[in-house]
Amino acid sequence: MPTDARTSDVTADHDPAEAADAELGETSSDDFEHARTLAVDHDWYKRAVFYEVLVRAFADSNRDGTGDLRGLTGKLDYIQWLGVDCLWLPPFYDSPLRDGGYDIREFRTVLPEFGTVDDFVTLLDEAHKRGIRVITDLVMNHTSDTHPWFEESRRNPDGPYGDFYMWEDDDSRYPEARIIFVDTESSNWTYDPVRGQFYWHRFFSHQPDLNYDNPAVQDAMLDVLRFWLDLGIDGFRLDAVPYLYARDGTNCENLPETHQFLKRARKVMEDEYPGRVMLAEANQWPSDVVEYFGDPQVGGDECHMAFHFPLMPRIFMAVRRENRFPISEILAQTPPIPSNAQWGIFLRNHDELTLEMVSDEERDYMYSEYAKDPRMKANIGIRRRLAPLLENDRNQLELFTALLLSLPGSPVLYYGDEIGMGDNIWLGDRDAVRSPMQWTPDRNAGFSTADPGRLYLPPIMDPLYGYQAVNVEAQLNSTTSLLHWNRHMIEIRKRHSAFGLGDYHELGGSNPSVLAYVRTLRGGGPRTGTDGADDVVLCVNNMSRFPQPVELDLSTWQGCRPHELTGGVPFPRIGELPYLLTLPGHGFFWFSITPEEDPS
Amino acid sequence: MNSPPSPDLAALLADWIPRQRWFGAKGRAVASVSVVATTPLPVDGVDVEHVVAEVAFADGGPAAHFQVLAARRAAGGDDFEHAAIGVDGDRLVYDGLWDPAVSGWLLRAIREGREVGELRFVPEPGIEIPPAPPGRVLGVEQSNTSVVFGEKSILKLFRRVAAGGNPDLELHRALRAVGGTEVATLQGAVEGVLHGESAVLGMLQDYASNSAEGWAMALASVRDLLAEADLRADEVGGDFAAEANRLGQTIAVLHSDLVRALGTAERDPGEIAAAMRARLAVAATDVPALEPHSAAIRGVYDELAALPAPLPAQRVHGDLHLGQTLRTPLGWLVIDFEGEPATPLELRVRPDSPLRDVAGMLRSFDYAANHQLLETDEPEPDQQRVWRSTEWADRNRSAFLDGYAARTGSDPREHELVLRAYELDKAVYEVVYETRNRPTWAPIPLRSIARLLNPERGTAGVPIDSVQ
Repeated sequence: MPTDARTSDVTADHDPAEAADAELGETSSDDFEHARTLAVDHDWYKRAVFYEVLVRAFADSNRDGTGDLRGLTGKLDYIQWLGVDCLWLPPFYDSPLRDGGYDIREFRTVLPEFGTVDDFVTLLDEAHKRGIRVITDLVMNHTSDTHPWFEESRRNPDGPYGDFYMWEDDDSRYPEARIIFVDTESSNWTYDPVRGQFYWHRFFSHQPDLNYDNPAVQDAMLDVLRFWLDLGIDGFRLDAVPYLYARDGTNCENLPETHQFLKRARKVMEDEYPGRVMLAEANQWPSDVVEYFGDPQVGGDECHMAFHFPLMPRIFMAVRRENRFPISEILAQTPPIPSNAQWGIFLRNHDELTLEMVSDEERDYMYSEYAKDPRMKANIGIRRRLAPLLENDRNQLELFTALLLSLPGSPVLYYGDEIGMGDNIWLGDRDAVRSPMQWTPDRNAGFSTADPGRLYLPPIMDPLYGYQAVNVEAQLNSTTSLLHWNRHMIEIRKRHSAFGLGDYHELGGSNPSVLAYVRTLRGGGPRTGTDGADDVVLCVNNMSRFPQPVELDLSTWQGCRPHELTGGVPFPRIGELPYLLTLPGHGFFWFSITPEEDPS
Repeated sequence: MNSPPSPDLAALLADWIPRQRWFGAKGRAVASVSVVATTPLPVDGVDVEHVVAEVAFADGGPAAHFQVLAARRAAGGDDFEHAAIGVDGDRLVYDGLWDPAVSGWLLRAIREGREVGELRFVPEPGIEIPPAPPGRVLGVEQSNTSVVFGEKSILKLFRRVAAGGNPDLELHRALRAVGGTEVATLQGAVEGVLHGESAVLGMLQDYASNSAEGWAMALASVRDLLAEADLRADEVGGDFAAEANRLGQTIAVLHSDLVRALGTAERDPGEIAAAMRARLAVAATDVPALEPHSAAIRGVYDELAALPAPLPAQRVHGDLHLGQTLRTPLGWLVIDFEGEPATPLELRVRPDSPLRDVAGMLRSFDYAANHQLLETDEPEPDQQRVWRSTEWADRNRSAFLDGYAARTGSDPREHELVLRAYELDKAVYEVVYETRNRPTWAPIPLRSIARLLNPERGTAGVPIDSVQ
């Protein structure tokens, strides 16, 4: 049986006399059942709709007030119904939970309140049975300061773990490296009284950075990957990858050595676990992030996916400014990516709405538009969910979702946003957007049958977004609900491979409030029955709250007829003159453009 | 081979040309139309000739010259009915620019550097003109017609032909030579001859396919502001100030590029003031509403004339306003360097103070802010709306000037008198233009004149109807 007993044994029964050479035992994947795997598919991640779900927040199966893996497994039918292709689970590893689980105490153990490794294997197996893949966060850069490696390292500088972290006698090295958590940290160095040295940390002081210059660290981390891949996991979101290495005279981000290690990790994945993916979390400019896809000559040999961070705030900015150029500009500055790579795009996630990737002036603008109360700000960002950010305006919620589902990249939904859940800005740190999923209007929002006082966080209870007003059960029963609308749009997206795999081409147009683009997949129209025809999808979005006309140059498709995708209604044939469309405020159209059928 | 020019063509053109938007002499009676030059073009499958027509006026004023690509195809097809000039026997005569076969030939001729008769098609040195899909007429403007080729090139044909230099072509060439990035790159030109003198007929440029006019962007911002009940201009989501600031930087870079390309000069303030006074004198007789202000305006011009030092001068855009700017995904572009259409060529190509362009943009922000007030049905605009529109204009004028100052290191507001004189001069021009063409718009420049003459009264203190 899996147990964390072995590791705790090491620390509990530690014999100082043997300490010098003691290696910590590591759990083997052979100790567990392995989940069934899905057929190898080399570009599933380009077509997939991702759904980020916090295990803690989704469903509580054992009445302890905290969501768990079994609870999540019980909700897989809902996730399948929604049309999700891949779950992204933030860390569920054993952790002291001082950073939402990103402070990992033991890589091969599940946090006891979430369940066990066996529970995770069951989740994987049940998800795969429904055609749903699962990826999880893996923090490569650092561990918790309670990780046995760190405890060994601080206590025994000459032992096998003495060199697992980055120790220095003073706190002056790497002065060019910025401090990321400016709200809480004043230095990237912290003194450890046990070892009598300073250790390096790019995030919280309780998260010491691993020393990747030590080959043993590299091997140990690759073995962590193998452990979960053996169990059947479909990939990893690699947290905080730009910071793996530090070098004098640099800002210690995006270093060549970091890329070398990622290439090595990718090779392990390709050779031993084909079809599994790595997704980079690199909150950098797209021109820097593309480096994390690796060599374009070979189609990419580092991460398969990376998040496009700057796009998201600009979607918000474009709609507030009622003009398309914030989006047009960032996409024009986004370099091409290798053929096997894909962006991950999102509107909201478990972190704040990150404003690192905007200029100071733009950040002031975003704060004043979307964070009217100072408590809505966190670090360099805004802690709010999608619906409250958009003041619960159904038209804007639909427009934003339509953009998310049609701009280049694989969309990542955040749990609860499909029903328009709210937030609670009075909760600490980033917990504002991590409240329990609202299933029903019953006790604890149907999330848990525990005593309400025992919940890890209170559910949202305000009159507008509270669980009595906003919940899955009610929205399932109403076909006009946001939930049904989201499901329908996901379903439409899946009918057209161009959304996931197609080229992106912006059409322009003289009306600055309208963003129009075409997604084209050459020979990608198999469902039309005309093998080899192109799959062409035209998306027209009105960034303004007022109705707008637009004239589009569709001369490339002269003679074709656009069919609106939500209802299939044929629109007028594309002629010689510019194509005129009128859009309601915050309205959008998706069209499939197909050659006109022979009238005979 | 091509058919000989039809004797009927002049008659067809006599009927057709005065109805075109680019005719530009509406209201003047036409005495006669004659064809002064024809050049058959070797285009496959269609008979087409390049025609220069001379229009003589009944008032005896100078004749105007227009170029037309007169194409002929068998009548019956309806492809070019919308561009028809008339019918010649069993053939339709139409404006050949609308025919992709003709426009495609023009593009190839420039790429290949051909000469046909007196027409010269000239690619810019070192430029690759990309192969392109069939041309499409983009829009018919006041003085030109543009054909777009895919997303690569745009061919602008100047409908009204004038002998001598063309500042639009000249400045684009000069800016290309110094690597200026604030304009669409010049790809080539079409040149011809009029009465023995060379004349510029058209120019080919990079096409900014994904772009929107600054004017449309500004109107969207004003619309957003006025839809709010009580928010200030800096509080609404549609705030334009960041764009205005960037636009100021773009104009500053453009001006420094023009200096690098064509150098600097000096202008006598007395001479500039004299030209302004002359314009005012004509305007005041045309538009009685100007009369109450003319003494005060002349006072400003007198102050300008009394300046002790000459004004630094250089080549400028000459007719700069938001409609001459394009927002592209990567920033702002400036277009159409022809100068004020009504001004004689020799004045348009003279070095002038760059503050003329700055004043033009400042006027344009005023226009954008006030334009929407005219679109309401109410007989008198709501004073609150007037106040808020003015606040929008002030905010964006300041942001534009800040951006300009940040790039040049010299703030135009340090030359307040010169700037005010140029703004007044522009506003006087606008009053005349609007009174003739769009009388309902005339209150916009009239109100601005009142405001420019009474800056200390504050902007909201001038009701829109008090200047009429």
